[in-house]
Amino acid sequence: MFALLLLVIPILTAVAVLFVPERTIRTCAFLGSLVAAGVAILAAISFGGWGNGGWGLEYSTPLLPLYGIHLSLGVDSVALLLVLLTAGLMPLAILGSWSGIQHRIREYYTWLLVLSAAMTGVFLARDLLVFYVCFEFTLVPMYFLIAIYGSSNRAWASLKFFIYTFLGSLLALAGLLYVAWAAASHLGEWTFSIPALSDFASAGLTSTEQTWILAALLAGFAVKIPLFPVHTWLPLAHTEAPTAGSVILAGVLLKLGTYGIYRFVLPMVPAAVVEWAPFLAVLAIIGILYAALICWVQTDVKKLVAYSSVSHLGFCVLGLLALNPLGMQGSVLYMINHGLSTGALFFLIGMMYERYHTRDMGQIGGLARVMPVWSFFMVFFVLASVGLPGLNGFVSEFLCLMGTFAAGSTGAYPGLLGPWFAAVAALGMIFAAMYLLIMVGKVVFGPVREPANERGPLPADLNLREIIVLVPLAVGCVYLGVQPDVAMHAMEGAIRDTLAIYPDLAGSVHDMLASTGAEP
Amino acid sequence: MMQSIFAIQKSGIGVPAVPMEEVVIAADLSWAGLILLLPLISLVLCGVCAAMRVKSKAPAMITAAALAGSFVTSVALYLNYVPPGDVIPLLDWMNLSWGESRFDAFSANFALYIDSLSLLWIMFVTGLGTLITIYASEYMEPDLGKGYARFFAGVSVFLFAMGCLVLSDNLLMLYLGWEGVGFASYWLIGYYYQRPSAVAAAKKAFIVNRIGDLGLALAVYLIWVTFGTVQYDELMSVLQANDWRPEFEGWSVTAIPFLLMLAAFGKSAQLPLYVWLPDAMEGPTPVSALIHAATMVTAGIYLVARTYPLFLMEPVSLQVVAWVGGLTALLAATIGMAQFDIKRIMAYSTVSQLGYMFLGLGVLTTYGAAYHVFTHAFFKAVLFLTCGAIMHGFAGQLDLRKLSGLRHMKGWRITAWTMLIGCLCLAGFPFTSGYFSKDAILAEAFVTQGPGFEILGWIAIVTAGLTAYYTFRVWFRVCAGPVAFEPGDELHDGDAHHGEFHPHAPRFAINGVLLVIAIGALLAAVPYFLDNQADEHLAGGWIADMVHDSTAREGLPAGHGDVDGAHHATILGMDPHAAMYYISGVVGLIGLSFAAWLHLWRRSDADALSRWMRQRIWIGWLPRAMERKWYVDEIYHGVVRAPLWILGHMCHAFDRFIIDGLLVDGTARLPRTLARWLQPLQSGVVQSIALAMAGGVAIILLAMALFMQFDWPGGAH
Repeated sequence: MFALLLLVIPILTAVAVLFVPERTIRTCAFLGSLVAAGVAILAAISFGGWGNGGWGLEYSTPLLPLYGIHLSLGVDSVALLLVLLTAGLMPLAILGSWSGIQHRIREYYTWLLVLSAAMTGVFLARDLLVFYVCFEFTLVPMYFLIAIYGSSNRAWASLKFFIYTFLGSLLALAGLLYVAWAAASHLGEWTFSIPALSDFASAGLTSTEQTWILAALLAGFAVKIPLFPVHTWLPLAHTEAPTAGSVILAGVLLKLGTYGIYRFVLPMVPAAVVEWAPFLAVLAIIGILYAALICWVQTDVKKLVAYSSVSHLGFCVLGLLALNPLGMQGSVLYMINHGLSTGALFFLIGMMYERYHTRDMGQIGGLARVMPVWSFFMVFFVLASVGLPGLNGFVSEFLCLMGTFAAGSTGAYPGLLGPWFAAVAALGMIFAAMYLLIMVGKVVFGPVREPANERGPLPADLNLREIIVLVPLAVGCVYLGVQPDVAMHAMEGAIRDTLAIYPDLAGSVHDMLASTGAEP
Repeated sequence: MMQSIFAIQKSGIGVPAVPMEEVVIAADLSWAGLILLLPLISLVLCGVCAAMRVKSKAPAMITAAALAGSFVTSVALYLNYVPPGDVIPLLDWMNLSWGESRFDAFSANFALYIDSLSLLWIMFVTGLGTLITIYASEYMEPDLGKGYARFFAGVSVFLFAMGCLVLSDNLLMLYLGWEGVGFASYWLIGYYYQRPSAVAAAKKAFIVNRIGDLGLALAVYLIWVTFGTVQYDELMSVLQANDWRPEFEGWSVTAIPFLLMLAAFGKSAQLPLYVWLPDAMEGPTPVSALIHAATMVTAGIYLVARTYPLFLMEPVSLQVVAWVGGLTALLAATIGMAQFDIKRIMAYSTVSQLGYMFLGLGVLTTYGAAYHVFTHAFFKAVLFLTCGAIMHGFAGQLDLRKLSGLRHMKGWRITAWTMLIGCLCLAGFPFTSGYFSKDAILAEAFVTQGPGFEILGWIAIVTAGLTAYYTFRVWFRVCAGPVAFEPGDELHDGDAHHGEFHPHAPRFAINGVLLVIAIGALLAAVPYFLDNQADEHLAGGWIADMVHDSTAREGLPAGHGDVDGAHHATILGMDPHAAMYYISGVVGLIGLSFAAWLHLWRRSDADALSRWMRQRIWIGWLPRAMERKWYVDEIYHGVVRAPLWILGHMCHAFDRFIIDGLLVDGTARLPRTLARWLQPLQSGVVQSIALAMAGGVAIILLAMALFMQFDWPGGAH
């Protein structure tokens, strides 16, 4: 029931927002999202799968039984963590838009809540088509959020965002449908149940089929993550999106891609993954370094943080491809941590933009003098993002790299990556310190430079509402930095289940690689 | 010889069987958590003070009290300490496990490893931390109510992180402390955040340190992959079970010490990563004294000493350590000779002295390295703090050409004389603490066999002479000679009365701390004479004791004259240990007399000499290169920073024009061109796309469904 509630509450709130009086829209939306967050917490408490794997919060009702389509919901612990992230970010996103959005607020909050429902739906889905519908449907509200409430180049950015990710997802759909069709022809009846399809696909598809499906799925998920070289929609979308849009985009939407890899690619096409993991890891590493170098020469703060997402998500993908529990737990933790720290950075940039109407590092500087509280949070979240130990970013980055480094030495798991992958990727740690500290050095420190633009009605430094937005994120960063065990134990079982097919593959794959090496 | 060393090692390390009486002591050890907790509390309280805009000295008092508490706790721990130490778990951090074997689990918790090495470090870190905090309470006065609380919060962060670094029981918590002290350093170097040079220096320190951190991270991975653990006690028992020999996979055993070395060289400012330390002098002087002279920069030495068995597995690594240390010592000393900013001279001297410590580690005397760390902490702190007092009193003046005769000025006598004590120790003047600790390293360079170690020893001896010269160049210029001064450019209200500048002499807090630390610098010679309790065959007194009970024990000197008869190194026909007393004493005195000639008796000769050198083509490059720090910053800029920056711009352009412009937008334009003749269909802008999407999905679904209907073997029922 919790699963259905999680899906329905945001939708109901969205409907309510359409009809409540103009003055109460924001409050209504905020309360609705708060209720959803509360339900998510209750769901997490009642969830029985923490630590030991398996599904929970299951709910199923047939939609098209003839074709095996059910409204089938349920989560494993990884998905539930991401549901919690979504539900937790939503009230903050609404609170953060309080003063920034002044026109067409009814539509704005409706779309935001619909977006929240769609994202939650992606994580809750146990049925392929439910997943896909939600996955695609996240595009629509996001499109309108950017197109209506964005900055000057919003029309182009929203269009590009929509078409780019939509095209990718269509290919992913083709791949998923092929799996469903193959399963149907094999089993003799239609099913769209994700676990059933995963079980079938991992064993029942030939390696050629797997390779093609991998390509199709990645077309969808890699664009979403985004992986180099299909990342160029992201900086544009981020710079044009309103603050809450950017927060949700970085915080949750990008994770749909990595979650897709976790949920579909790894369990469904293991043979292809094992074959292509080094290649994909190279793409991830190029992304890490390439985006980091681009960050270095940015002058727009928001674009810098957007490109840093490309760089950071590279670590996340690398952790998944390490194909061992170290890397994978690090990677899932990375999804959450990146949502917290980068989400917070986008909030902070939005708060700055509301006051100065510029994000140009050339025009603005030395804000520590003018906005000490803002500066404190800015430095704090930059440090979390840089991966300072004791804060959250460190643990996940460290584990992702460690998993990559130790890929050959983690027991039975296939060791496809290795020390060199990690060593090169780890250069990203140095670059991250470079571009983020250069940004902080310009914007926060140094002599005060303020643009001549007129100041809005907001006070010079953060007001209470804005501090309330940031504090939960900061608390999350510290908590997950000091007690990552809580999250890692929670996801342990689910990750062991996902990886369970890989040790068997390790031996056969090594044989295969050896034989192809011998007879090309 | 090696056999006997290994025999000593095997005896003690590992988890001890704890008899009943020792449980009581172990319970006392559990107070160790306080050492970390107290700075954390003072951090929070300083944060509260900053938020409440407290205008009193409360933050300084709180921090000093907390650090004093940490110091007392560490001393109490030392008094209760029974070898071979213990592990005290505090808090879980990271625990992953996916199988039964050691290699199927990764575990790193907040836990303390109390052995004599960590106790030695934590005692002088917290002790000096307390004293320097008291000093800073007066030094930072002009910032009362502004950055005062922020400053002491930074000091608290530093002490917390340094405590983690030194006391941790695993490499991951050490990493936390390692980056933590780097962050504290960033915080405090950039304390004057409106000054662009300070911001740049802070950034540089953090980034250069990150390069070292990368080495540490990779070393941690490799250690875990090779040994299946990152906890010291487990690591040591694994090594012990393996007879302390490299029987693990080849390349990793070689790579581990080199990666650790990278980390140590970054943090301890060795070639080629030393460039951040001189710039770090942008921070307030107490910070320079505490972090960038006495404590944080010795973390690299601590790391190598702590992981010494791993270095011993690959002898080449220790030879590299020795050479890098020796060359850094020489290079930094030559730069120090040509600088005019007294604080920078001290910074280069720190780099140089750290080089000595690495030389000591490299020539197998962890005792000498640790002893030099210990004495250096005191005398370099004194030197920096006197520089700070001068800077504080003369409105930021640090140019030794613009200050003279301080010892004759009223109120400056304590500063001048404590500075003299610091200078004597640094110069290795006979029977000062620096003399004994430096000799321990120098002599061992001649005893230990290694590639060119004898040359290295002579380099170090020459460097000792240079050190004496530049040290006393400062003292003779600033403290001796006729009274003359110019104020610096950081005038505060009340500095200038009626247009005339009056230096304000240090008061009680500064003078008191200077005296205490100066006495400490002198007394640091005493441990050399104390008896060795752990093993009477070993020389080196109390410090050797402290090193003996730890992972660093194999680097102890084997006592005078009882080397196993294999080879008996000599220098000028004498035992190196005995000879070094004379050699280094004489070399130091020569350097000192040169300084006296050029900077005390005939200062005009110094200018004449400098002018003469600069006019000769064959030698003129030397003073210029030394003054310009051998162009290392410029080389970095040209070789690393500029190419990366250009690469960044190239990537950016590539991203904009090739990937996004040509590939993405180009592809997008393709259908648009096609659609020119389908234009009537393109009605709206926005909503049609949503419609198209729904339609598209529907069509595809339908097509697939129909297709499958036909192909479905079972048929629809």
